[in-house]
Amino acid sequence: MHGTRLTFALVLFLYLGTANPSAAQPTAHGTHPPPGMVYVPAGPFLMGSDKGDPDERPLHTDSTNAFYIDTYEVSNRAFAAFDPSHRFPAGREDNAAIVTWSRADAYARWAGKRLPTEREWEKAARGTDGRRFPWGDTFEESFVTWGPENSRGGSIAKPASPYGCYDMAGSVWEWTDDWYKPYPGNPRPMEQYGERYKVMRGGSHFNDWAMWRTSHRYYLLPEEISRYPVGFRCVMDAPNATEK
Amino acid sequence: MKIKLSCRSLMVCTSLCILSIPLCAQSIHEFPDTTTPLRAQVAISERLTLGNHWNEGTIIHNVIFPPAGLDRPIVGPQADCLDATSELLVAFSHKYATTKDPADRHLADSVFAGIQRLERVTGIPGLFARSFNRTDTALWHEKTLWYPEWHASSSLPGYRWLGDLSTDKFTSIVSSVSMYWELCADAAHQEAAADLIDRFVGRVVNDNYKLTDLDGKMTLWGNMCPDLPHQPLNSLLMLMGLKATHRLTGKPRYDSAYRYLIRTHRYDDHQILSKMLYPEEWRNVGDDYHAARALYLLLRYEDDPSLRNKYRMNLNRHWHDWKSMDLSWESSPWFVMTYRVLTGEDILTPYHMRHIRSLDGFERRRRSFAIPGPNGTARVESEEEKVSAARIRNYWFGRYHGIIDPTW
Repeated sequence: MHGTRLTFALVLFLYLGTANPSAAQPTAHGTHPPPGMVYVPAGPFLMGSDKGDPDERPLHTDSTNAFYIDTYEVSNRAFAAFDPSHRFPAGREDNAAIVTWSRADAYARWAGKRLPTEREWEKAARGTDGRRFPWGDTFEESFVTWGPENSRGGSIAKPASPYGCYDMAGSVWEWTDDWYKPYPGNPRPMEQYGERYKVMRGGSHFNDWAMWRTSHRYYLLPEEISRYPVGFRCVMDAPNATEK
Repeated sequence: MKIKLSCRSLMVCTSLCILSIPLCAQSIHEFPDTTTPLRAQVAISERLTLGNHWNEGTIIHNVIFPPAGLDRPIVGPQADCLDATSELLVAFSHKYATTKDPADRHLADSVFAGIQRLERVTGIPGLFARSFNRTDTALWHEKTLWYPEWHASSSLPGYRWLGDLSTDKFTSIVSSVSMYWELCADAAHQEAAADLIDRFVGRVVNDNYKLTDLDGKMTLWGNMCPDLPHQPLNSLLMLMGLKATHRLTGKPRYDSAYRYLIRTHRYDDHQILSKMLYPEEWRNVGDDYHAARALYLLLRYEDDPSLRNKYRMNLNRHWHDWKSMDLSWESSPWFVMTYRVLTGEDILTPYHMRHIRSLDGFERRRRSFAIPGPNGTARVESEEEKVSAARIRNYWFGRYHGIIDPTW
């Protein structure tokens, strides 16, 4: 299975013609990311996993248009600028805002952005090579943002994803725009599939290591987050969106 | 109040029986007095636990009394009920092994029946609930005190149960039922205990060493899988689960799985670092608690000198912290006693003995609760009582092993 994956990755690598996502930075397209965002080029990438939960299967090739995505999760300070009624503990202005899906979606629209699709989120987190974590395949505790007291940019080693995003493992879960549905080719039924739950990604500071994998999916009622620490980051369509 | 004990013989499969210990919260108001002998304080802790925290054989660790619970006194955070339940099963198992009093065995049998019910209520063999309530409708705390993983029972109408089991509760079930099997259960109950653990751990093995939930996904804290990155502690817990299950059932598949995880995935080496010593602020007594329960079984059940050495290396790392740790946390004195029992070393200092002799554990306090209702959220003041099951476990463990003097 592992060999199949490596072969698959190699073919994709040759197809893309580059192993370094930074080689496709927006300057090549004559554009620059807006402040606080990074550029993710158009093109295919490895999505899903054959080793995780049943809903992550199959490992497959998907693709996105070019887009910009926030470097960090949206902070309490930023969210309060949109919604002055937003409440959070004193001293946690720079922590990730924990909000329902509709509030996250409203913020994104207010900011002239939108919530990422699942495929956009996953590509931004793992690049094109199918890596398990944003920084690579090997887990390292100092790479993860652990505590609720420093839920944004608080990991010791501060590794970035291939495109320069932070905290895509740990910190808070992150809303996506998508309903919880099976991937094409996934034969296993789940009663939760449909248009009742939204998908959240990336795990939080309060769950097992495996939830920090880039392919892990979790579902949640969009307006009942209960005790789940779930925040979000936004995306924007990039100009010259077609891969050349 | 006297605990009513049934005279009828308890069937092995008691999960459908109405247990004779009544569901009567807030019925005990006699509190431990530190000026009285330890044995008397523990006796009061037992009455408080059985009278105020009992939920059909399981123990609710924190009980919120009316008015916060509205018309139902036994409600509270229930995510960790299996820890308190397992502590009481270990306590009564050691108590019976010490006293040989049939009433003590009956109490242990009743707690075991509660653990059976935690499986029965899910309707799926081998899938265990964290806790349950006899209720047709959702209770107020389901969405406020833990993740909303409550389900209506399909197998026990009129019950709701809390899912998303975690590896620490895996440890609670396996370690306590193993101690019950070893010290207390009669032949029929031993068979029932082995069957229960066979279904539970067998399901984990079938799911590639993961705890999976009703939806088929791995639970938030259910990862002992060799194909997924996981904590060294979880390698230890999985080895413990397999070793104990092989001992109880005698089934070769569990020994094979144990050998497979060791030979192919080096779980024996991985587990050595279960104890995170540095940075010091990452030390976690909660993780120590799970490791101690696992090591207590592994170091007594494993005969292979090489593996015993590796488990001992793990224990040594824990002792590096335990030997001088603050013993005020409920299970800390038990860590020290466990180390003493496992190694036979004369390590108990006057500081240790002072804490073992006092064994704190009772806590009742006033708290404010936000209670959701049809007309919005109301804030209510109420009393909350924390169970002292760990204290009872500590006492009878110490008594059984001759560390605690019966005259204290």
